[in-house]
This record gives sequence, C-alpha cells and structure tokens, in this order.
Amino acid sequence: MPRTTPAELLPGTLDLLILRTLVRGSNHGYGIAQRVKELSRDVFQVGESSLYPALQRLTLNGYIKPEWGVSDNNRRARYYTLTPAGRKQLVAEEREFERIVAAIRLVLELA
Amino acid sequence: MRTLRRLAYWLRLSSHHADLLNEVEFHREMVEQDLITRGMSPAAARIEARRTMGNDTVMREEARGVWLWPSLEALWQDATYTMRDLRRNPTFTIGVALTLALGIGANAAMFSLIDRLLFRPPPFMVDASTVQQVYMYRTSRGKESGTGGQYARYADMARYSTAFSQFAGVSLKRLAVGVGEETRVRRVAIVSAGFFGFFDAPPVLGRYYTPNEDALPDPAPVAVLSHALWTTQFGARRDVLGATLRIDAVEYTIIGVAPEGFVGLWPYRPPVAFVPLATYGRSEGPPDWATTYGHSFGIDPIARRKPNVTIAQASADLTNALRRSYQAQYEGRPAGAPLDELRPRAVAASVLEERGPEPSSALRPARWLAGVTVIVLLIAAANVANLLLARAIRRRREIAVRLALGVSRRRLFGQLVTEGVILALVGGAAGVALAVWGGRVLSATFLPGTEPVSIITDARTLVFSGLVALGVGLVTGMAPMAQLARTSLVADLKSGPREGTHGRSRLRTSLLLLQSALSVVLLVGAGLFVRSLRNVREVRLGFDADPVLLVELEMRDVRLDSAATVALRLRLLEAAKALPGVSHAALRESIPFAGMSSYPIKVDGIDSVRALGEFDFNSVSAEYFAAMGTRILRGRGFETTDRGGTRPVMVVGQSMAKVLWPGKDPIGQCVRVGLDSMPPCRYVVGVAEDIHSESIEPESKLYFYYMPALQWKPQDGGLFVRVRGEASAMAEPLRRGLQREMPGASFVTVNPMGNIVGAKMRSWIVGATLFTAFGVLALVLAAVGLYSVIAYNVTQRKHELGVRLALGAGRFGVVRLVVMESVRFALAGVAIGSVVALAAGKWIGPLLFDQSPRDVVVFGTVTVVLACVAIVASWVPALRAAGLDPKTALQAD
Repeated sequence: MPRTTPAELLPGTLDLLILRTLVRGSNHGYGIAQRVKELSRDVFQVGESSLYPALQRLTLNGYIKPEWGVSDNNRRARYYTLTPAGRKQLVAEEREFERIVAAIRLVLELA
Repeated sequence: MRTLRRLAYWLRLSSHHADLLNEVEFHREMVEQDLITRGMSPAAARIEARRTMGNDTVMREEARGVWLWPSLEALWQDATYTMRDLRRNPTFTIGVALTLALGIGANAAMFSLIDRLLFRPPPFMVDASTVQQVYMYRTSRGKESGTGGQYARYADMARYSTAFSQFAGVSLKRLAVGVGEETRVRRVAIVSAGFFGFFDAPPVLGRYYTPNEDALPDPAPVAVLSHALWTTQFGARRDVLGATLRIDAVEYTIIGVAPEGFVGLWPYRPPVAFVPLATYGRSEGPPDWATTYGHSFGIDPIARRKPNVTIAQASADLTNALRRSYQAQYEGRPAGAPLDELRPRAVAASVLEERGPEPSSALRPARWLAGVTVIVLLIAAANVANLLLARAIRRRREIAVRLALGVSRRRLFGQLVTEGVILALVGGAAGVALAVWGGRVLSATFLPGTEPVSIITDARTLVFSGLVALGVGLVTGMAPMAQLARTSLVADLKSGPREGTHGRSRLRTSLLLLQSALSVVLLVGAGLFVRSLRNVREVRLGFDADPVLLVELEMRDVRLDSAATVALRLRLLEAAKALPGVSHAALRESIPFAGMSSYPIKVDGIDSVRALGEFDFNSVSAEYFAAMGTRILRGRGFETTDRGGTRPVMVVGQSMAKVLWPGKDPIGQCVRVGLDSMPPCRYVVGVAEDIHSESIEPESKLYFYYMPALQWKPQDGGLFVRVRGEASAMAEPLRRGLQREMPGASFVTVNPMGNIVGAKMRSWIVGATLFTAFGVLALVLAAVGLYSVIAYNVTQRKHELGVRLALGAGRFGVVRLVVMESVRFALAGVAIGSVVALAAGKWIGPLLFDQSPRDVVVFGTVTVVLACVAIVASWVPALRAAGLDPKTALQAD
C-alpha cells in the first residue's frame, strides 16, 4: 500500500499529477513542476519541498524509476520514467479521484 | 519489495545522498535560468532562486526520510551521539562499564550454573519433560530412607510398572580404564540398552548395543566410547571399532562412538564410555547378582511417562511396582509381609538429579547465592544510575539549551535511555568475559571434580546476559530523566555553580544509601560465614584429617582368597611404614564420613542396645589411633598382639562407654558382637575420644567402637597413612611405593582424607568465600559511588568552599567538612543495612554453624570498615577541596 502523505493540494493528488505528467514521457523534477504549473494554468505551484519527497516516495513504491540523463541545455539531470506498476497505479488513482470529485459535487449540488 | 528497495537504498546511502544534492542543484539552476530569461540580472536571479527554493536542508531531510524508518534513524543518531560522547569521557565510560561488567558477569555466571543444575535438559534428550528419574524409599525403625540400586529391584520396577513407555537403568561409576601405565580411574556410564532410546543421538561411528547384548544370562562385553575419549585416546581413528578397551575387570569390544557432546544424564561429569548394565553386573557382582536383593550396584531407574500419564499417576504406579517388588522379595518368608512396616514409596522426579525430590547439597547454597548476585547487580545498577545522574546534572545547561532549541522531551528521554542501554551492553559484553572466568570458579566451588562448561558459547547464558544488560540499561538510563522532569528550563539556562544551587539530589542520595545498605548486608553475611567457617574448622572431629592419606585397594579381576588378601594388606602396611615421610600407618575397614560399618551388639544387663542408638564400628590395626590422632582417654589402644587366637578385645568411644555403663568402669566390660543369639564376649580394653563420622554438626545417638583388624574381617578395607608435611604432596610417592606390591591389574588409589572431610565443610567454605568475594565487590562499588557523589558535590560547592577559604576557614576544616559528609552517608547506610541484615537473620541463621546471625563483632566490624571506606573514598575530593585557590574558585564560571 502506498503511503499517502498530505501534499499541498488535495491529499494524494500531487502523486496523481506527477504520474499523469510522466505519461507523455520521462521528465526531470524541474520539468515536472513546470508542466504541472503550465497545465494547471498556474493554479498549482508545486513546491520543491513537497516535490522531491513525493518523487522519492514514488520511487520507493516502484511507480517511477529515476535515471541520470542530459537535459535540453546539456546539463546532467535526473529523469523519472513511469513504470508499468506506476501506470496501473495512475489508472487506479484517477478512478479514485473521479469518485471523490463526483462525491464532492453531489454533496455540493444536493446539500 | 519496498523493504528490499529500502535495503538497497541503505547500502548505497551516500551515493543516494549525492544524487539528491545534484538533483536539487539542477533544479535551482533551472529556476535561476528561468528568472534570467525573464530579464532578471544574474546576481539577483541567483538570490531569488535561492529564496524561492526555501529551506533545502529540510526538503532534503524530508526526501531522505521517505526512505528511512524514522524511529530507526533517530535511534541511530542517538547511538552515534552517545558513542561520541562516551569516547570523549573514557574514565566515566570505563568506570560504568566495569561496574556493570561486575554486576552482570556475576549474574551471568550464576545463571549459567543454576540453569544447568535446574532447568536445562540433558543434551540430545528427546522430550525431557516426560522423562523421570525414579527414587525409592522405605521406612525402617520409623525413619524413612532411600533405597534401591539392586539389579533385581530395577528389573522388578521395569516389569511391574505400567505407566511408562521407556525404562532404563543407569549408574555412573568411577572405574579403572585402560591397562598398565595407561590405567586411569575415570567415569563410566553403566546403562541398560534402553538408555539410548531416550535420546536422539545417533552414534558417529558404529552403533549402540542392543537389548540382546544387555540380556541375561550371557551379556556381551561391548562398549560405546564417548566422543571425547575417542578423539583423545584413539586419535579419532575410524578403525577403532573392534578394538578392545579394558574397564575394570572386563575386556570390552568397542562397537560404537557417541556423538560429540553426548554425556548421558551427566553434563558436569561426562562419562568416557557406556557399557551394558548386565555385563558390568555379572563381572562385579556375586554369582546371584541378577536375582538377589542383597547386592546394590547403585542402579537408578529412569523412565518416560506414557502420554496422558501425570507425574502423580506415575509416582503411584511406581509405588505400586515397588510394593510388588517387595512382595516378590519376601515371598515364601514366614511371619507375613513386612510391607506395612516398610511402607515402600517411589517418586517420579525430574531427570535432573540436582532437582531430585530433595534439593542437592550444591543446590541449597546456589539458591541463596543467586539472591546475593542479584543484590550485587542492584548495587551496580544503583551505582551506574548515580553516575549517569551526576552526569546529567553536570550537563544540565546543555540539556536546557537543547530543550530550548526545540528538542522534544520524548526525544531527549530516548537519548538518555539509549545512552544507558549502550553502556549496559558494553558492560554486559565485558561481564560475559568476566563470567567465563567466574563461571569456572563457581562450578569448581559448587561441583568440585567436574568439568567446567563454557559460557561464551552458550546461547541461553548469552541471551540472559543480554536481557539483564538491556533491563539495567533501560532502568539506569531513565534515572536522569526523573531528575530532568523536575528541572525548570529557565533556571537551568541561567544556572551555574555561582548560583549556589547545591541542592542535593534526593534521588542520588537514596541511590547512595541503597548501595551502602546493600553492601552492609553482604558484608555482614560475609562476616557471619567467615566466623562460621572458623567455627567449623575448630570442631574437634576426633581425628586429624589433614595429615592423613586414605589408601583404597582396587582389585579389578584379581581374585585372592582371604589369606592372600590379608597377606597383601600386611605387605602394604609394611611398605607404607618403610617409606620416608610416613609417620604411622594402619589397616582400617571403614572410613569416617564415607560410611561406617554396623553390626548387632548385645551387652549383658541391657535388653535392647539398639534402642539406645546406633552403634558403628571400625576394625583397625595397632597404630590406628596414632595414625588418626584419635586420643585414647583410658586404658590402651590396640597392640600387634591383638590378633586371631588371642583374647577378643575392643576399644569403645567415650559416649558409648557412658551410655552403656553409666557410672561404671568400662574397662573389662563384655560386649557381644555378631548375628548369633549369644556371640562370645569381647572385652573393652580402652576408651577413645568420640569422633564425628557423618556430619560436622553435633551427632546424637551415634556411637563408635573399634575392633582389632586381625580379629574382625582382616581381609576387608584399606589403609590410613599419616604423613609428615603436606599430605597431598605425599600422595603420589605413597601410591608408587604401594603399587609395587599390587598383583596383576589391581591397583591402589591414594587420596587426602582432608578432601573427604572438606566436602562436608563445603557449604560453609562456599558461603564464606563467595559472600566475602561479593561483599568486597559490593564495598568497592559503594566506594566508587561515594567517591563520585562526594567529588561531584565538591565541584558543585567549589564556590561556597572558596568563600569559606577566603573567609579564613582552615584547610583541615574543609577536609573535615567533606569527609564527614561521606561518613554520614556511610553511617546512614550502615543503619539501614543493619536493620535489613537483622531481619534477614531468620533465614541465614540455619545456614550458619554455631554462630548467631546477630553477632555484635560482625556488625561492629562492618560499621568500622564502611566508615573507613567512606573516609578513603572522600579523601581525594577532600584534598582537592582544601587545595582550592579561593581566588580562582571565586572567579571561575
């Protein structure tokens, strides 16, 4: 069972977002943070202090795999790739997220 | 999977660390670059990037924390912190570790002994809890005593009992093993074939013997070697099978070798070989050895209870079997079965013989000694707690600072406990090393003549020591916490010696009092035992044990008729007298403290002599009284003229004379010794002083008389030889001198009589030695405790003492001030300890010999000793206090 530590966003959503950004291909920490920021139109600012622990946690759980590579500007950077287990976890987390969002919506609409 | 990844991470901890650093650095650069692209100056961008990144140490710690077990991480930090700290204070560390080593070592050694005596099943034994040793009793003259040992009785018990699935007869004997020069007296296990079925110990070579080989009427001369004998004597050769080994009178064929560590039921007295019960019985016993109830081989039955049979049921079944055995024994005899008078009773007891139905002689002192070692451990723990406390108080400010910086009290607590545990474990390890040595001393004291067993390789003892160390560590580690819980942060931060906060710690004072009180208890015990031992040594036994050597004849298969045996004994007597260093030698039949002979006697005018008490005798030759140092009080001893054909004479003991002929002259009285209805008269020619022959304590209703060896069974027994100088040094020359006279494979053994008597004094010797050893140990620990507390107090009072000196107090006054504080502690300890010791007198009293447990001299001496120790312990701190330079002391801090 993955450990769910509260992120800055909704609990557990940071892991979900990280995994989702990696579906398109591997990326480094900075890239992931930028991508989340861009895609959310600057709504989510992923702080380094939660990003890197989250990356370590996902690595520990075997959902992503780190590898040293070279960045676009020719620097050494650690790239994270989604593993098959990570893909499975992403599907599960997405479903779980949908369920929660739907439930929240229900409450908001009916209460 | 996670655990595996975690472990992999741990293995490459530093490289992961570097990776994380690089990664974060890359991130920072990217942020910086981003800011520059947005038009910020490089310098401002660098600062801004750093700012947005926030506290990257916290982040790194947190990222790393994902991988670590947080509690483990904390523990590791505490441990390294403690180690660093301990390395910085080597004196403190060594002092504490040594104190604990003494406490834990004593307990480990004691545990090992008690465990082996009481709890550990014999090695290789299958399901030892269902195996019972069988003890048999019968009542005679209203007194119940142990019985059994005959082959016929053992066979009956096996035949008539129904509650057991396995039954075997065992006997451990010291027998002559080997031939010629190689001959040594060694332990041999004489066991029935079924014995091996109790164990799961397949032989490493060959096989064990079968019931057929252990069967009547023609048992086989086969032997199984112990692994130890096989390796030492036979070089572990595989062709040993089929070779022969001479044990006593029989040439045994070796058919197997037992596995290493197989010692039967006797871990402390391992046998060198195992031979069939029937083979041994036939070789040693009379012709009717297998069927008579009149010849004991010392065979003890062991049996395995069937499932669902309780111990009580097993005992009842055995008692029943014993009754049937007695019925069989008395079958056909007139006058009805004596069963009502005999009241036979059998008990299924633990297979561990020390447990027995009654605790053994080694066990009783071992039990209370275990209590003593626990006291030593308490003292050691109190001492360590005290030292840790002193340190904690010294570090008060440091701790207050840490608290102020936000260290949680829980974490601080954890750190203190870690410190205690680490110290205790170090001490425990040193303790085990001490126990290896101490265990050897202990087993030599409690179980003399046995093989010492290693402690260092013994998992049970090691686990025990570890647990004790852990327990002590936890408790002592917590002691400083009790103090810290009360401290006020602000006061401590500001505090310094100058504040004059030399409030004595109540906890420390109590610990110190506990220590001195406990050492008083131990020292009083030591004093009482030392005096007991002195009293024991001063008891006049009626003979001198120390200068006397005991000669015994082992005939093996050499069968001499009576006349030839008498001739041999006389030749030995002459040979002994001819040796330089020998002052007197005499024939004797029995040996005091090793079983005296008894025979029915009749005295004219007394209806039943038996009703007066027990009359034992010894048949001895002319020089006996001189050789033993037994004084003749009236008349004469024996002369060489008292022999077969001359007038039958006897010498009686003083008490015997008094009880048989009160107020009359015993000389010339007639005593009839023998089984017949009217044996001939034997005339009293002398009165000898009384002797002790069973115990050192006063013996009542136990009387002695002597008959000339040449008039009473001149073929039985051996010699007593009195030597000049050290008896043990003369043993070997005497043995060699006598051995020349021995025919064939027969041989003599020579042992100091002091050993036999010494065995009877053992419980007092053990008590005196060990109480003294532990008492001194306790005293040393108490001295260390006093020293540390006084030295600490002096440091705390430096300022105050400086003021005193500056105001003109004399150096001597300061010394007295410090020393008196120490002495007051010690005297308070004496007061408390004395009360405890007086209360404990009730239990210790029965263990002492002719000694009140409330001896004034002992209590007085202990008080003086403790006061002296208090003065010595405070001397150095006192001198340091007196040597203070008032100026420095006042300016310091």
